[in-house]
Amino acid sequence: MANLSIIDKLKRSKILDLLQEGKRIDDRALDEPRPLVIDTGVIPHANGSARVRLGDTEIVSGIKVQPDRPFPDMGDKGIFMCTAEILPLAHPSAETGPPQPDVIELARVVDRGIRESGMIDLSQFVLEKDKSVIGLFADCVVTDHDGNLFDACSYAAVAAIITSKIPKWEMKDDIPVLIENQESDAPITTIPISVTMGRIGEFIIVDPNIDEWGCLDARITITTNSDGNIVALQKGGSDGFTLEQLVKCSELSIAVGKKIREIVKQATEGGK
Amino acid sequence: MKKFESKKRHVLPGDFITTAPLRLQDNVVLEGKRVIATSIGLSDVSADSVRVISLTGVYMPKIDDLVIGTIQYIFGNSWFADINSCYQGMLLGQDVFGRGSYPTTSEMKERLEKGDIIYAKIANSDRQREPLISIADQSLGKIDSGELVKISPTKIPRLIGKHGSMIQTIEASTNATITVGQNGLIVVSCDETNGLLKALTAIRMVDEQAHLVNLTDKVKKMLESDGV
Amino acid sequence: MGGREANVVLLDENGIRSDGRKVNETRKVTIKAGVLKNASGSAYIEFGGNKILAGVFGPRDVHPKHMSNPDTGILRVRYHMAPFSVGERKKPAPSRREIEISKVIKEALEPAVMLEKFPRTAVDVYLEVLQADGGTRCAALDAASVALADAGIPMRDLVCACASGKAADALILDVNNEEDQAGQADMPIGYMPNLGKITLLQLDGVLTTDEFKKCIELGLEGCKQVYEIQKNALREKYFSSGDKD
Repeated sequence: MANLSIIDKLKRSKILDLLQEGKRIDDRALDEPRPLVIDTGVIPHANGSARVRLGDTEIVSGIKVQPDRPFPDMGDKGIFMCTAEILPLAHPSAETGPPQPDVIELARVVDRGIRESGMIDLSQFVLEKDKSVIGLFADCVVTDHDGNLFDACSYAAVAAIITSKIPKWEMKDDIPVLIENQESDAPITTIPISVTMGRIGEFIIVDPNIDEWGCLDARITITTNSDGNIVALQKGGSDGFTLEQLVKCSELSIAVGKKIREIVKQATEGGK
Repeated sequence: MKKFESKKRHVLPGDFITTAPLRLQDNVVLEGKRVIATSIGLSDVSADSVRVISLTGVYMPKIDDLVIGTIQYIFGNSWFADINSCYQGMLLGQDVFGRGSYPTTSEMKERLEKGDIIYAKIANSDRQREPLISIADQSLGKIDSGELVKISPTKIPRLIGKHGSMIQTIEASTNATITVGQNGLIVVSCDETNGLLKALTAIRMVDEQAHLVNLTDKVKKMLESDGV
Repeated sequence: MGGREANVVLLDENGIRSDGRKVNETRKVTIKAGVLKNASGSAYIEFGGNKILAGVFGPRDVHPKHMSNPDTGILRVRYHMAPFSVGERKKPAPSRREIEISKVIKEALEPAVMLEKFPRTAVDVYLEVLQADGGTRCAALDAASVALADAGIPMRDLVCACASGKAADALILDVNNEEDQAGQADMPIGYMPNLGKITLLQLDGVLTTDEFKKCIELGLEGCKQVYEIQKNALREKYFSSGDKD
């Protein structure tokens, strides 16, 4: 999905003209994300799930928890993996077939944001050191694409993880055996929140929608944790940022991240 | 005496309409002796023909239709435009540079390039290839300013209205210039922000409520009020 | 979810199945049309525990060009299961099962869609299973028909689908996941009621010829029930501010 669809000139010039007046095409302020709606437990058969709508972008994330072998050099930690897929029904130019670089980048950025924050205490996922651990897989599917998949997928995975139930396994003869009805909450240490910003000319906008995305010179996704520290970031796009712009982005990621964290907390309270 | 239903009915694909031996027009098919609807819409049975007025579906290019398109790319001596159809519109370089000309790609880019919006006429449409479009007329060509809006192509007749009544009402009331494409694309230009907003709202109302009987009154009421 | 079927009672002495249903009862079905912003047509179905999303694009350009047909549009179907949709997490890449089901669903829809008016184009149907609970291909086909109609693709009829089968020696309608695993036969059926044509039919299991006939008749009853739900989903989207005649 390298080029989504060609942004027509009228829309592009409208976006640029409005920015000069400090406005955006959908009436938002430059530092304002779109309305965020989070529903949890939408896939009851999975260990956890969430559906997120960020404006018209829609993501469904499902959590599967199952026993696995640990990574060779990390026998005292469970496994965490996050994937993302843009479903072909999400946008006319979404393709089927093996994932393109932009989708791979999306998945890895979302994964890193959650992993580097230490959100899940993976040391609690060990069944038998070096032999058997619990693996938690967060798979995100994009069902409707209206820009900024980075944040939408991240919020969906985070909400799904917070509300997921971890089954209990016991080792019997070297094999993990499921113990029924002994589920517990996921061991959460912090809530990572990603905020994606784009640069058009000298203007920085938060949560670009798909029309704005087509006009961006550069973009950056910054993930912060509950302590207000930056845990991961990724710059993308064919142009760059000045140091001042990067500092501004970091400040925005903390301020906006704080508000979004509250929304995520509210949405996931009932699910626990 | 042939029996027929004179009332328009809501139909879905597969719904039975009539067994009368009428001439088949749009969106119906004959299965044995039964005329079946093939689209979501309103069945329309007259004395000699039967059709379904569709509420869905992609725009199909018809000769002489005026359409709005977005240039996608240049290939050979032609521009190819997205005309909101299942086919792209092909605009020959000769249409712009004159018969027998062979403009270079950069010459063509200077006139029209990717992302430009044009008002064009369907010049030719046959099954063998992409429909040909033309901007040779005075009133056609590149659209430089305004707001591009997309509605369902099936609602365009309602937006234009009988003899243009609906569109003229909107233009007169808002001082906007509205360029309507049969393919569901519309460009609205207006110097006053309020007029622009009202025109856009009127268009939105037609798209959402085209099937309602009192739409014209509702639109007039909105245009006359202060807000939207 | 393995190893538990042995303890499940598929049919008790009162003729009640493991999930409380009678032998000729389908699970609860709900369908909503027009749920996606970008797709030309879409539908979301919940069929028992199955949750499936359908999106349609087209008719549109075919790439690569050599795959297009100069005389008619072509239909392409992709049935896919999300990794979290099944008991044991499924890897995202398409499996052989998904590829086969995609083909079977395509061939169930082809008799219904009329693409001769759109040469050199393709109509793409994308089916995503978000949660699976036995009978996904039927539920996916039900959603696909609604999404195609929503997209304005001309159709002779909607295609409805439901599975019938056999468990505990009784013929049953709408086989759920447990019955599929531990039962004696599972037969998904796709049907165009208006033309009386069966366009999808597969069988897993053993049936006598007499059971086969009865099982199809039972399945068609289920199909017809779903047909009404499909129609109502479209009526709700298109006709519900109800006024015209």
